Amino acid sequence: MKYYCLIIMCLSIISIFSCKDENNNNNGNNTVLETQILTDFAHILANPNYQDIQAKANTLRIAIQNLNNLSNEENLNLARIAWRETRSSWEKAEGYLFGPVDDYNYDPAMDDWPVNKVDLDSLLASNNPLTLSDIDALPTSLKGFHPIEYVLFGLGGSKIATQLTTREKLYMVSLSQSLYNTTSDLRNSWDVNQSGNFTNQLINAGNGSSRFATRKEAFILIATSMAEICDEVANGKMEEPLAALDSTLQESQFSHNSTADFKNNIIGIQNAYHSKFFDDGHGLNELIVSKNISLDNKIQSQITTALNSFNAINSNYGLAIHTQVVQIHNAQNAINALKVSLEDDLINFIQTNVHD
Amino acid sequence: MRMKIIYILFVSAFVFILSMCRKPELFPDSSYDERLNGGSQTAFDATSHAFSHEFDGLSDYDLSIHEVGDAAFEQTFITAPANINNGLGTVFNNVSCISCHHKDGKGVPNAGLNESSLLMRISFPGESQNGGSIPVPGYGTQIQDKAVFGKRAEASVNITYSFQTYNFPDGTSYQLQAPNYSLTNLYTPISGNHLLSPRLAPPVFGLGLLEVISESDLVSRQDINDNNGDGISGKANYVWDDFENRKMLGRFGLKANTATILTQVAAAYNNDIGITSYVFPKETNHGQIQHDKLLDDPELADSILNAVKFYVQTLQVPARRNVSDPIIIKGKKIFSDAKCSSCHIPTMTTPVNVAFPQMSNQTIHPYTDLLVHDMGPGLADNRNDFLADGNEWRTAPLWGVGLFETVNYPAYYLHDGRARTLTEAIMWHDGEAANSRNYFAQLSTIDREALLKFLKSL
Repeated sequence: MKYYCLIIMCLSIISIFSCKDENNNNNGNNTVLETQILTDFAHILANPNYQDIQAKANTLRIAIQNLNNLSNEENLNLARIAWRETRSSWEKAEGYLFGPVDDYNYDPAMDDWPVNKVDLDSLLASNNPLTLSDIDALPTSLKGFHPIEYVLFGLGGSKIATQLTTREKLYMVSLSQSLYNTTSDLRNSWDVNQSGNFTNQLINAGNGSSRFATRKEAFILIATSMAEICDEVANGKMEEPLAALDSTLQESQFSHNSTADFKNNIIGIQNAYHSKFFDDGHGLNELIVSKNISLDNKIQSQITTALNSFNAINSNYGLAIHTQVVQIHNAQNAINALKVSLEDDLINFIQTNVHD
Repeated sequence: MRMKIIYILFVSAFVFILSMCRKPELFPDSSYDERLNGGSQTAFDATSHAFSHEFDGLSDYDLSIHEVGDAAFEQTFITAPANINNGLGTVFNNVSCISCHHKDGKGVPNAGLNESSLLMRISFPGESQNGGSIPVPGYGTQIQDKAVFGKRAEASVNITYSFQTYNFPDGTSYQLQAPNYSLTNLYTPISGNHLLSPRLAPPVFGLGLLEVISESDLVSRQDINDNNGDGISGKANYVWDDFENRKMLGRFGLKANTATILTQVAAAYNNDIGITSYVFPKETNHGQIQHDKLLDDPELADSILNAVKFYVQTLQVPARRNVSDPIIIKGKKIFSDAKCSSCHIPTMTTPVNVAFPQMSNQTIHPYTDLLVHDMGPGLADNRNDFLADGNEWRTAPLWGVGLFETVNYPAYYLHDGRARTLTEAIMWHDGEAANSRNYFAQLSTIDREALLKFLKSL
């Protein structure tokens, strides 16, 4: 009988301990991991990414100055490469559009679309001054990436160096300086050496941050931002020119860089999930894999599928909307599947498992 | 025998403990829950995306319309002729909806810059034939302070502030900044004394729910002659709706000068961006020297205007946070004791609407009565807007106010964004709200913080 009592007592004790909600297994280790993920998101991903954008915008600025000084095909090509490089880094940062880039409108200042071609052509045809202060006063549809792209590449990417007018080059010099200044403001807004920087807000989420009352809020914002760029790529940037069969509705139409833009956006999502840019940090994936390995596998697999889907679109996007509709639909479907997992499964996971 | 009893006791205890292992069930939405600011259309998101969630339960078709509207809300308009987003200006205040309503929220109280979200209404003293403001020749009733290339902005709006520091009885200081507005660089002279009224772009979530609150409910809350002697009147602003071609109850705009979401959206396209639509098919500068004279009106497809109207109509309201926090509960009581809730009505119920079940019979917490109140000379624009006189402003809905700092950092409050904190916003209250402001000012430090914490939970 004593054995029965002993067994029952043991079972009781086991059952009492097993009463804890299986989802509510937050502990000191989770707090450490969650804080580490946010820290790495800021230090391993966001800061290096924004520094990279700034550095590449500086290269673009110098390349355009060189083109202004000597307008030959080599310098034109170098400026175009610098534009694509800057664009590539920026599009990756669109995988997590929150914080100062949103608060202070750095996004539309750099990347508004469409280009106001009527006003741009009129401005270039006029005698209006084109100094930096003149450019800074222009509407966003006359500055940033796409007006530079319009002048640098021309309609259909057909511009040659000798076609560049003096005013076009002056315009680009000021545009590229303005772009560089904005990327510097953006980079500084995350720099821990600057007062009020966003890095400290993020890494101190739930621990004195005035922007994030909890770590959960920070993680949900990251996940929501990832899902939103999925929606924008699949259902906006890709869909609008496809639905209208109109290549002029694609964002980077002059450089034929649209497909690269789309893919870099998805790489940005991958970077946000792993907290990585040049280096790998502790990412959201580690939080998920510890509790729901199948969800982590699903998200990682969907990111890979989405990225690989672009390999099948092998002509420029303006042409592909006429000739590779199936491949485009496949890419859209892959991105939309990822979007559903991020906005449903991932956010639900965070809601359930992050407690602070 | 004794062992048998012990055995039974252990078995009973074991069964009892096991029965307690059941996980708690979700609180059903159908039950009352004060977190549900928007009733069933409440978004549980306290991040910077909190104002941008679509209604739950939309059909696939309705969801697709919402998404079309969402995309259109963000589109930048450009100068005509263009094959996309055609028709900016020729004079305008900004280039897209999102440029002023950042993240479906509020704007930035400056003028003339790309991110500026403050516009200036202008009129001559008096009342027009339809009861509204008297337009100024060459300007209409709004200053467009930007222009497309080759045209002139109508004027530059200049804003300067004077600062005054005050102290609460506990010694805590606060500073109020009083704005001064003026116009320079007029593109054509204004003859006669004109009136100005600054307006900062307000958030756009929850408007669908505000639109369906019954007129009789709102009107029943009027007390124009303050018959109950509480110092608070409240007046419904009946306004002329150009599209409906009749007078209607004003609900939207900072002086409740617009009756419907459709008119509000179409008027914003027309006045703020210079885009014509089936509701307002003429440019605001029609007949003026800067008119584009193009035969491209209406510039906005009917379907896009309807989609943007539907988008705004179907944005959820963010949920309250930390409602069981004792300090917030205390702050809520102070809010009531201070009579803030006499105008910022905490709870309303929408009528039954079989055509739109998401908005039907919902208990919502808008913290507004949608009536206009005398807010005192400090906030007065001294410009009538239909029945709203120069001292009167619509009670601002407070749902979501606690997230302004999160969504639209840094946050600005009141009709022109002069208040940088909730404390400043409260201390600007005067007129009918003077007693509530004085109540707040006399609170202990702890109670004042409790009230502010309650507001930040909204």
